[in-house]
Amino acid sequence: MNINPVLQKELKIRMRGWRAAATIGVYLGFLTLTAYFITVVARQDFYRTAIDPEFSIGSYIGLAVMQFVLISFIAPALTTGAISGEREKQTLDLLLCTRMTPLSIIIGKLFASMSQIILLIIASLPVFSIVFLFGGISIKEVLQLFGFFIIISITFGSIGIFFSSYFKKTTAANVLSYGTIAFLYFGTIFITVIILMAIGDSNYNGIFPLLYANPILGFSSILWEQFGSGSMGFFPGFNFTQTGLNKFVSPWIVNLIFNIALSMLLLFLSSRKINPLLEKHNGRKRKRHNAK
Amino acid sequence: MLKIKNLTKKYGKFTAVDDLALNVPDGEIFGFVGPNGAGKTTTMKIICGLMAANSGEVYVDDIDAIKKAREAKEIIGYMPDFFGVYDDLKVNEYLDFYASIYNIKPKERKRITDDLLELVDLTDKREVYVDSLSRGMKQRLCLARSLVHNPRLLVLDEPASGMDPRARVEMKEILRSLKGLGKTIIISSHILSELSELCTSIGIIDRGKLVIEGKVSDIMQQVYSKKLIKVRVKDRIEDALRVMQEFPTVISTNTGENYIEVGFDGGDEDMTLLLRELINKDIPVITFSQMDGNLEDVFMKVTNGDEEH
Repeated sequence: MNINPVLQKELKIRMRGWRAAATIGVYLGFLTLTAYFITVVARQDFYRTAIDPEFSIGSYIGLAVMQFVLISFIAPALTTGAISGEREKQTLDLLLCTRMTPLSIIIGKLFASMSQIILLIIASLPVFSIVFLFGGISIKEVLQLFGFFIIISITFGSIGIFFSSYFKKTTAANVLSYGTIAFLYFGTIFITVIILMAIGDSNYNGIFPLLYANPILGFSSILWEQFGSGSMGFFPGFNFTQTGLNKFVSPWIVNLIFNIALSMLLLFLSSRKINPLLEKHNGRKRKRHNAK
Repeated sequence: MLKIKNLTKKYGKFTAVDDLALNVPDGEIFGFVGPNGAGKTTTMKIICGLMAANSGEVYVDDIDAIKKAREAKEIIGYMPDFFGVYDDLKVNEYLDFYASIYNIKPKERKRITDDLLELVDLTDKREVYVDSLSRGMKQRLCLARSLVHNPRLLVLDEPASGMDPRARVEMKEILRSLKGLGKTIIISSHILSELSELCTSIGIIDRGKLVIEGKVSDIMQQVYSKKLIKVRVKDRIEDALRVMQEFPTVISTNTGENYIEVGFDGGDEDMTLLLRELINKDIPVITFSQMDGNLEDVFMKVTNGDEEH
């Protein structure tokens, strides 16, 4: 089996030196601090003497939230320099003049970043295992959550690669990537609230369609499905109920389908953008010329 | 090996390459000469599938390099004028990476890497990080990179730019070795004297148009249709000058300390007659030789001539 050469090379470069070890160290440091904080808080409850599964669920949710936040910051950072960095270093042409297709270059770059994220997630397993000490959480639930993290990382990574392909400077790609992710997190909620206020529907039951694009919805929906029961409402348009589409499919699955579709679209557009033979202006001209 | 027909590339209203036609046979070293912005790099990028053309056709070994760019890239090795390297890769890893792109097996890659490092004289740098190499070494490594898949056509854009004189000589030696290996090479440079020694043929491009193309000697003759003869005499320079001025095919004379430069509009027969006339008149001729125009003069003449229109 041939491994994508860009992926192979990137893994070698990325794991060299102190940066990879430092990233893992800082990542695990944050998670460990979170676990420690939760344990200290739980021990202050003097009335709790026996092993309590609620404590492990609390720890699990706390660690999951911290990991979700960390991934949201790290995943785009790993890809925003993927293409713009090659341009800045003047190495992109050296790749494009080989037999590699633009799509395989993009995929190689994305998976190199994803491998790093997967490494971080796997490295966090020992910290997560603290919750197994107290019971109440199954391996299946942890794997389900980690699967969600991997897909969401791919989406954030694809957003990074997309802007990295479209902008020459990594700084611009960085700003726009985080801007887009912030929009998915908060912009979609803001627009939903505005729309519902405008149409005067303050009791919107279920999930407003735009919010299926929101990673917070996907994340909280997984946790709700794992530990929640009945209905749970945050605000109009963000309610987990067994109504409408949710009778058939969980909100987090719809969110994952959206994420996968968005990633595929962004990767396709990125590969077109870096393909030197598909310059918009010239492509039209050539078609006209060939038609003659 | 390389055929270009009616190639045109425009950047907005500016025409970088204007209806260019070119034919480079197998095994040639073709010198692509032109002032900055003449369209050399654009043409080379189009050949290598790094830029789309507005119109025209490019064939590399009968493969349509525009429609089947990926196929053509298998037999093209490209070295750009400006390039960077990856910071955290060693010299051997750098070549191994590019070889892996062409599906070459690891064992074979090691052999290729060793051979190429020997060719470009970097064997002792194989374990060194690429970014610590000098500019000249990086240029040589980049040339080695363009050879990892054993391409039949090499497209080298100013391969010796920014190099010191020693590095230039080393690069020239490497290119000579490649010529010996039967590669077809297109090389652009503004150091014309270097090209004239190395190239079997040249093409001069100016404002996107190929102004002149052919064997170096043919181009010299085409540009210098009128000969320039230098005659050195021991003494009696005034008498020699009189003989020359009376000779029918002499069109101009320019006198130096003990020599005369003669503008001559005749063939080899006429040159023999002029020399005989000087000897018959007892002029003490030391040397009588036709002066070679150099490529720099040709370049200036061809490109300036165009500007006057």
